[in-house]
Amino acid sequence: MSRILVVEDEQHQRELYAMELEDDGYEVEQASNGKEAVEKVKNNKYDLVILDIRMPEMDGIEALGKILSRDKKIPIIIYTAYSNYKSNFMTWTADAYVTKSSNLDELKNKIKEILSSRSV
Amino acid sequence: MINRRLLIQFLFYVPDIILGSILYFLHHEDYFSSGMINYIILILIVYLAVKVLLHIWVYKVFVINQIESVRRYIHNFKKGKFSLKENELRGQRYLSEIINELTDVGRHFENMVASQKDEIDKFKEFYNNIVLSVSSYFLVINQKNEIIFANKSFSTNFNLANEDIVNNSISDLFYFSGGKIADAIENVKKKGESIVLRQTRLLSKNRIAIIADVKISRITMQGENQIVLVMDDITSKCRKDYQISLISQISESIQKDDEIDRVLFSILTAVTSGSGLGFNRAMLFLYDLASETLDGKMAVGPDSIEEAVQIWGAVQGEKIDIVKKMEDYSPGDRKGGFFLEQVLSKHYKYTSDALFVKVLKEQRAYHIKDAWNDTRVDPDTREFVGVGEFIAVPLVAGNRSIGIIVADNKYNHAPIWQDNIELLSIFTVQAALSIESCKSLTTVRNQMEKIKLRQDAIVESEKMAAVGRIAAHIAHEIRNPLVTVGGYAQRIIQTVNKGLKNPESIKNAASVILKESERLEKILSNVMDFTRPSPYIREFNNLNEIINDTVSLLQNVFQERKITIQLFLEKEIPLVKSDFNQLKQVMLNLVQNAMDATPQDGVIKISTEIDGDKVIIRVKDTGSGIDEDHLKNLFEPFFTTKVTGVGLGLAVVRKIINDHNGEITAVNNPEGGAEFRIILPVPI
Ligand SMILES: Nc1ncnc2c1ncn2[C@@H]1O[C@H](COP(=O)(O)OP(=O)(O)OP(=O)(O)O)[C@@H](O)[C@H]1O
Ligand SMILES: [Mg+2]
Repeated sequence: MSRILVVEDEQHQRELYAMELEDDGYEVEQASNGKEAVEKVKNNKYDLVILDIRMPEMDGIEALGKILSRDKKIPIIIYTAYSNYKSNFMTWTADAYVTKSSNLDELKNKIKEILSSRSV
Repeated sequence: MINRRLLIQFLFYVPDIILGSILYFLHHEDYFSSGMINYIILILIVYLAVKVLLHIWVYKVFVINQIESVRRYIHNFKKGKFSLKENELRGQRYLSEIINELTDVGRHFENMVASQKDEIDKFKEFYNNIVLSVSSYFLVINQKNEIIFANKSFSTNFNLANEDIVNNSISDLFYFSGGKIADAIENVKKKGESIVLRQTRLLSKNRIAIIADVKISRITMQGENQIVLVMDDITSKCRKDYQISLISQISESIQKDDEIDRVLFSILTAVTSGSGLGFNRAMLFLYDLASETLDGKMAVGPDSIEEAVQIWGAVQGEKIDIVKKMEDYSPGDRKGGFFLEQVLSKHYKYTSDALFVKVLKEQRAYHIKDAWNDTRVDPDTREFVGVGEFIAVPLVAGNRSIGIIVADNKYNHAPIWQDNIELLSIFTVQAALSIESCKSLTTVRNQMEKIKLRQDAIVESEKMAAVGRIAAHIAHEIRNPLVTVGGYAQRIIQTVNKGLKNPESIKNAASVILKESERLEKILSNVMDFTRPSPYIREFNNLNEIINDTVSLLQNVFQERKITIQLFLEKEIPLVKSDFNQLKQVMLNLVQNAMDATPQDGVIKISTEIDGDKVIIRVKDTGSGIDEDHLKNLFEPFFTTKVTGVGLGLAVVRKIINDHNGEITAVNNPEGGAEFRIILPVPI
């Protein structure tokens, strides 16, 4: 069973993703900002990280760098309301960039795709 | 004191007295008997012996000792000690007189020699001073033409260390010294007669130019002939002449000019004008690094003999101010003469062995006297120039050849004198520098143009980025609650679709949707606030309170940035009909801008005052002030000079003040810094 870390400052959204992903059979943990996420990655092993960009304390872009400097191979999906960071080189190091939507299908597909490609 | 002489003389006679008295005694007593004769003979023998001994003794004591003294004296005399110890020759009056006389002579000689030495030393110093430090330059050259001595003035003036001079030849130190000076030196070597070269132009290899009268003469030092060059620097004397001379005027004006074509034209005008160098024609080629070709760039001179005659007629008739004419020249009116066209179409490959390329490569002037037969001239050049005698000089800037100038007297066939060549060569040094500086100026200008364009583009894109940022910000603000609402709604649908009876989860989702909808509404009303035509104002506020509130909010920031804030608030200020939060926004924006413009230890002053039925708020800072050009744009939305600015601060301020029926103006303080003044009406 894959372990996913959801990093999102909006509580309702975070919980929604957790519920949805657990329903799909993933084990989900939550972090409410970049700092927490970096801490968690340091102490646990995850198969995938879902990262919001705008968060208090430490934003997603900074967290992205910190997480990758710790573990280069860990897959990361940027999931944000901003669409304009997609072409920004700051996010190139992420495995995928998905713009937030009330329809979670795109996110779920990306997760499946990345995890299956990794497990091969 | 007993007289030694007398005593000695007395001693001499002692034996005589004794002998006499014995004989006298014998004569009286009649002792001359035959038996006594033996005694008498014995006495005589003793007498003689004593006498001899006495003589020997006296000789030893007096003569030998005296001679010893004299010898010692002479010995000292030889060493230059002219003194006589009194007791040594005591009693020897004659001898000591002679010796005294000798001593006097010795002393006299000593004085003579001493004063001579002084004289010689003085003389030597005098000479050294002259040779080493007279303002004339002084060079001594040996038979092999190597410099063996240079005086201080020379090395100082030409900024050369002694080792740069000694063992070098004149042509190692000076440009163009091969001609006149070298000839003169050879002449002096052969004939021994001195030569003076008047007003010789000298340009040292480190580009120090002087005009000097050079006197060349031959001296013989320890059997070897040497050549002495004395150069009297008359540069400053000539400077005045030179200054009024056309060349210098032209040199100066080309140094100031930055239009490359005009510089080139000016240079060639100087080369061809009668009061300049006076060549009939001149052409200029520049080396193009990119294409590796030597390209014809400019030419000055008549196309035909008829034109030449006409021009000279005109020049002689009315004294044309050539410098003036040059200044009037604009690149547009390059007269498309045949000669110019011909030159402009000339391009020599750097790899070719054309004469002009040789001049460029070797950085050396070529004076061709008979182009038709001179093997150094390639056929193409021969045909192109079309004249027997011409001169081609390199344009050298720094150590690099940047081009060449070719000049000839095609029309009057006047011979080209060494003088002219030297002058042209000196002039080309200045010309090359002018071309270089003009070129680099042009490059700099192009570069600046490019940078400015790029900067404009950056500013433009910054602005677009700012707009984008705002849009992104709003989008983000709205998208987030929307995503949440949609997400939970989706979840409810799924729950129902799957037939799950989970009222708790549905209720949860619905309450999230509700909350997020409220949030959305709030965001929208905030956005509306910004764009709403005018707020509905019903409060009455004390402006001082608003200011105090704003300042206390920013207190930490002031401290952090070491900015002092001073308040001059009118106590009796009337209440103004206003929106507290909006006016606070105004103050915040103004103070924020003031802080941005103010360096550390700056001061921001805020004051309120009453002016009839109006109140005035001033925000003054000690910062950079506002560019005059920007004053009119300041309040436009998105106008900003800051890299990270959005340019909405003052736009919002103006909107709010307008909504309050007030006015806002910005001025620069005469003592520096900016001042923003808000006027608000007091309700009656
Ligand atoms: N006190 C001041 N001193 C000097 N220049 C000022 C001052 N206040 C404003 N300006 C100039 O006016 C421009 C516009 O100011 P404005 O507040 O509208 O935008 P901004 O400060 O650049 O960006 P922001 O939207 O973040 O406030 C500034 O960029 C600055 O050049
Ligand atoms: Mg501002």
